Amino acid sequence: MPSSIIKRDGKSAPFDSGKILNAVNKANKAVGEEEMSPTDLLFVTEKVCGRLEREGLKHVEEIQDVVEETLIRYGYARTAKAYILYRAEHAKIRNAETYLMDIYKKLTWSSALEEDIKRENANIDGDTAMGTMLKYGSEGSKFFIDNHILPKDVSAAHNNGDIHIHDKDFYMLTETCCQIDLIPLFRRGFSTGHGHLREPNSIESYSALACIAIQANQNEMHGGQSVPNFDYAMAQGVGKTFCQEYWKAFAAYVQVKEDGSEEEALALAGEMRVLAGEDIRMGAAEDFGRRLSAAAGAGRRPLLEKAHAYAVEKAGKATDRRTYQAMEAFIHNLNTMNSRAGAQVPFSSVNYGTDTSAEGRMVVRNLLLATQAGLGNGETSIFPVQIFKVKSGLNFQPGDPNHDLFQLAMATSARRLFPNFGFLDAPFNLRYYKPGDYDTEAAYMGCRTRVLGNIHDPERQTICGRGNLSFTSINLPRLGLEADGNLGAFFALLDERMDLVFRQLLHRFKIQSAKKVRNYPFLMGEGIWMDSGGLDWDDAIAGVLRHGTLSVGFIGLAEALKALTGAHHGESDEARNLGLRIIGHMRRRTDEESERTRLNFTLLATPAEGLSGRFVELDRRRYGLVPGVTDRDYYTNSFHIPVYFPLPAFRKIRLEAPYHALTNAGHITYVELDGDTCKNPEAFEAVIRCMHEQGVGYGSVNHPLDRDPVCGYVGVINGVCPRCGRKEGEGVSPEVLRALRRQYPDVPLWDG
Amino acid sequence: MLMDPQRETKTRQTRRIGEGVGFERTRRITGYLVGTLDRFNNAKRAEERDRVRHGV
Ligand SMILES: [Zn+2]
Repeated sequence: MPSSIIKRDGKSAPFDSGKILNAVNKANKAVGEEEMSPTDLLFVTEKVCGRLEREGLKHVEEIQDVVEETLIRYGYARTAKAYILYRAEHAKIRNAETYLMDIYKKLTWSSALEEDIKRENANIDGDTAMGTMLKYGSEGSKFFIDNHILPKDVSAAHNNGDIHIHDKDFYMLTETCCQIDLIPLFRRGFSTGHGHLREPNSIESYSALACIAIQANQNEMHGGQSVPNFDYAMAQGVGKTFCQEYWKAFAAYVQVKEDGSEEEALALAGEMRVLAGEDIRMGAAEDFGRRLSAAAGAGRRPLLEKAHAYAVEKAGKATDRRTYQAMEAFIHNLNTMNSRAGAQVPFSSVNYGTDTSAEGRMVVRNLLLATQAGLGNGETSIFPVQIFKVKSGLNFQPGDPNHDLFQLAMATSARRLFPNFGFLDAPFNLRYYKPGDYDTEAAYMGCRTRVLGNIHDPERQTICGRGNLSFTSINLPRLGLEADGNLGAFFALLDERMDLVFRQLLHRFKIQSAKKVRNYPFLMGEGIWMDSGGLDWDDAIAGVLRHGTLSVGFIGLAEALKALTGAHHGESDEARNLGLRIIGHMRRRTDEESERTRLNFTLLATPAEGLSGRFVELDRRRYGLVPGVTDRDYYTNSFHIPVYFPLPAFRKIRLEAPYHALTNAGHITYVELDGDTCKNPEAFEAVIRCMHEQGVGYGSVNHPLDRDPVCGYVGVINGVCPRCGRKEGEGVSPEVLRALRRQYPDVPLWDG
Repeated sequence: MLMDPQRETKTRQTRRIGEGVGFERTRRITGYLVGTLDRFNNAKRAEERDRVRHGV
């Protein structure tokens, strides 16, 4: 045993083997597994001391190296990792305050333009007071989670870039997202903590309450909020509006024709409304007309038949107009209303396209038209994310009842980037589909999340009231680099990483499960989450959370394949087969973990906002610039073919489609079109049809979408605005704008 | 209907609308639309820059 050690500052100090034993013990305790008995601790300490003596090692860094190697050698891999973390983070932890305060200084005194940390999420304004306040909270929370909550090896894996725990700052608080069924919520009426809102009775209040529900739920979750059946839900508001408009017009007609009083006319309308039985519906007006005739006495019949015809036409037009305004307001509200202390608008998604009722169709048509028109000055709306549900027999084929809406959806997407397209006929979505039941229609949330299968309750593999609980992504390129071309090593490392992520997701799930209904007064208190309606205020939510999903994500399949084979899956058959083998293996592992735990472990094609740069930066530090792997500032999204790789749209779709079937937690395929191709309806439709045919679950088309706020032009602007001829930053004379306004009504007004 | 703004400036010193105003460039980044590239983080800006169009 050495008699002294050399400290980092070069000074000498007496050797104390107890310090080694304590450090190992502490690391072992932090892992919470691999439990070491006092004998084990002594054994490892003795091995360390023996080797130090044999090799004459004295420097504190050398001693720590020997501790690490000894732990690994005797099978304490996790303890070793935790010990490594202690080493790496030691200075940081010792200077905890300095570290956190440095971050706070950055947040306080730098603008978002300079600091990446303020631009982690592009939809949060890091320069506003509340945006900064949120970041203080978020950074403080991450620090707390890292140093006091997470098992040390998990925290080390996150911080060194093996994995990424998404929304780590919300670790102690929330779940990701939920698919909200507005229909039962509206029927009951609901409370947002500021008074009870009664069942809405017009399309305007349906639209307004939809926004309020999305906003209320957003404040209790860390991801986005989705309405999976927007057309079905809003259709009921349209139906009520149509009834109101019908009886108003009916009475007006009677009053004028009879030259009577308003009261008499309304009384007659009220009487007929009772006599005719079930009230009029937009899609069944003729049937109602027949019942009305039958109920009327012979004397009044001609008058009432005319009143009916007049009222149907009048109510149809008025309802259409009001629905357009309600959809316009819906979009405007979702782009302007605040959540999270005002720093961001709620992340919202709406799915639609399968409701073939007259009311549902009216909703979708007007929502699409309002989307095409854009916001107040013609700006493209950022929210909600819109998803058109494509289904053969409902809208995909010519002759389907909603085929016109499918066409309108494509035209809208070609102009405004939304809607995206969800494909209900993809085999992995179709297997859950039951005709006429919206709860079985695959829906997507935000950028790609999908929640449908349910191992916890196989009788209810449905959409509404369910969502993702949390997700954690694996850095695939690093595994490729670590394995250094050895496939056996790659899969062994992948398994090890997946085990770590499973353990971490369960660790988080345990924290989430201890929460009570009162922690989520809207999500659980209002019964939005599946089965939460039956719980009391102080009940734990552990049971009902089991309907949610725990997702393992991945990033950079393309770079991992480059590291392993020298080519990515767009470049060689070898890489293509290996890519499917890797992701197929990951899916088998999540399925097995689901079987084992009876929890919904699913595989996610991670979108990676804020993460794609972090991994590559850490890997570059470790492995340097590896061509095709670490030589760009980002890793490629999930299973995507790299964005820089040129290939035809149809080939990209064919190469990516098989991964959709494997990634049951969500996926998306993008095609990038240039402005001219995008304006060509046949070309756009050919892309969407190819996605449908190839079994893509969720897809969309990207195209350049520029706007000149001065003249209102929307389209591609290269150097010069094609409408007003100005270059970026140049002015235009008022005369020019006035002349343009005569030609284009959407030229904004510049008063004064 | 295009006019030459350069020549206009020279011939008549009138009020100009939109001086210093940039163009808005809406792009989709990992599923969400963003109205300006300023708020993307560095990695995402690089990714957007590298994108190539796919032919049909
Ligand atoms: Zn212009």
